[in-house]
Amino acid sequence: MAQSSGKTTLTGWLFTGPALMLLTFFMVYPILSSLWMSLQVGKGMNFSFGGFANMWRLTQDAVFQKALLNTLTLLVVQVPIMIALAMLLAVALNDPSLKGRALFRTAIFLPCVTSLVAYSVLFKSMFAYDGVVNRFLEALHILDQPIPWLSDTFWAKVLIILAITWRWTGYNMIFFLAALQNIEPSIYEAARIDGIPRWAQFQKITLPALIPVVLFTTVTSTIGTLQLFDEVNNITLGGPANATMTLSLYIYQLSFKFMPSFGYAATVSYVIVVLVMILSFFQFVAARDRRRP
Amino acid sequence: MTGLKLSNVRKTYGVLEVIKDVSLEVKPKEFVVFVGPSGCGKSTLLRMIAGLEKITAGDLEIGGKRMNEVEPSKRGIAMVFQSYALYPHLTVRENMGFALRFAGVPKNEIIKQVDAAAQTLELGALMDRRPGELSGGQRQRVAIGRAIVRKPEVFLFDEPLSNLDAELRVHMRIELARLHKSLAATVIYVTHDQVEAMTLADKIVVMRNGLISQVGSPLDVYDNPDNMFVAGFIGSPKINFIKGVVDGVSKSGLTVVLPGYQDAKVTFATKNSSVPVGDSVTVGLRPQHFNTTGKMKFKLNVELVEHLGGESFVYAGNGSGDLITVATQEGRGLKSGQKFDAHIDPAKALLFDANGQRVR
Repeated sequence: MAQSSGKTTLTGWLFTGPALMLLTFFMVYPILSSLWMSLQVGKGMNFSFGGFANMWRLTQDAVFQKALLNTLTLLVVQVPIMIALAMLLAVALNDPSLKGRALFRTAIFLPCVTSLVAYSVLFKSMFAYDGVVNRFLEALHILDQPIPWLSDTFWAKVLIILAITWRWTGYNMIFFLAALQNIEPSIYEAARIDGIPRWAQFQKITLPALIPVVLFTTVTSTIGTLQLFDEVNNITLGGPANATMTLSLYIYQLSFKFMPSFGYAATVSYVIVVLVMILSFFQFVAARDRRRP
Repeated sequence: MTGLKLSNVRKTYGVLEVIKDVSLEVKPKEFVVFVGPSGCGKSTLLRMIAGLEKITAGDLEIGGKRMNEVEPSKRGIAMVFQSYALYPHLTVRENMGFALRFAGVPKNEIIKQVDAAAQTLELGALMDRRPGELSGGQRQRVAIGRAIVRKPEVFLFDEPLSNLDAELRVHMRIELARLHKSLAATVIYVTHDQVEAMTLADKIVVMRNGLISQVGSPLDVYDNPDNMFVAGFIGSPKINFIKGVVDGVSKSGLTVVLPGYQDAKVTFATKNSSVPVGDSVTVGLRPQHFNTTGKMKFKLNVELVEHLGGESFVYAGNGSGDLITVATQEGRGLKSGQKFDAHIDPAKALLFDANGQRVR
């Protein structure tokens, strides 16, 4: 192996060449190009090099700061709720004594393959002031008066959290189900014979097997939520009063809604990149520490 | 120590009956082996004793107490699984002490008991490892250790050696036999391997289709099988079954003629006269019982010889396609195609009627 001839090396490059070329064109080039773009200032197609001017603008931009705060709020509140819910549902649906498991699994998984726009429109009408949700809750006497889901800054955030949780819980649940089915049933039988209480079985047998999945789903959900765009664009359009404005939606509006400011939009994109890197790093560190007590 | 009693036990899944009316008594300190082909219900029966499967009908008593509805952990049993079923995220030490932690045993007492079991099983160097870092044999020892620590009245083993390689299996078999002696515990052991059954058991329970075919000591079951199934299942290589017809019945016994083998005749000293002349019967001849001096002679042609070193298995036929297996110490020179005379003492032959039941 040490003496790989020039011909072997060439064969290797020929095999990897097409893939590398595509990666360069579609991944490496856009990344570097957008990094260069983030140093440009100007409106529309009139660019000029601005150095760190865009980064300075970030510190002065109230909308950006609001979007950043909103994104982080959604992240901190929604991801843990969804992961916990996905885990609970997976554990419940893994119980062999449950009838109609396949049906429930499909039903819970279905939201993430439905049409995004269709479900957004449906959510918008369901959660309207005189929509079916408010009327239902009033009929049950849970509410005295309707909740202004779409027009209140707090409830709009709740609505977005409900929407993305509805859409992505089933998707994450599949990973938990797969991990649960990898646990050998006889381990639980041994625990029954050993007289291990249910909670200890969950804590010492089930949960440790799920830790890698918790890490995986947390990282992917964190990335997903940091890039949250679809729901806020289709249900609330970032409103009311930018209460649901997210970084991705702001990037979109900077590029295509207002007077295009591609350079600044690229800078905001890099904020997401940096956030994803930092958060993923901490999540991996946390997981590693838990695995080696 | 405690014995165990099964009375008319049944298990059904819907319309499928997998255990059909099993009654059995296991004495204290006895090593009982359930053996049978896969699907015979032996593992199900063990799991019913453990409490992992509900008993549809009948009674299970352990130490004189009815245990049908008692939780597995309260039955005074410990079980070793084929897959070891160790807790993957706990160390060997934690695995062995886990049950005691929830049984209210004080910490220093747990340490003492775990260390004692570890010493018995020579696990000392592995105590801080996780199951994933152990070999199959080591995992099995940990699983046994986990069972010992609980000081159960009855040990249940569900094919504990099936996942080990051949050499390790023999080694663990000897260790298990030793352990049984030193613990003086009641053991119920499930296997499909008749060699394990023969070597370990005080009492063998041969099962078939959810029923007990025969219960007895290993040699008893080997020498004196109740039916063709038991005769065929116990003993390796497998017993030879030769078709015959009853030729004559007299007070002294029963004569059977073997049409495939030059109309050779065998007389069985039996007082059983329920088999009339002309009935088809089966004669069972163990490969090990053939010799060079026996009165009965089979003129055969060698088809295949397997040399095991110490002995050879000769597969020889009469031209009809049926082969007779002969185990012999003097088969080294034999080659296929050669003529071969197999002798056997007629007293060693076993007779079965048309239904496969033994005629004694």
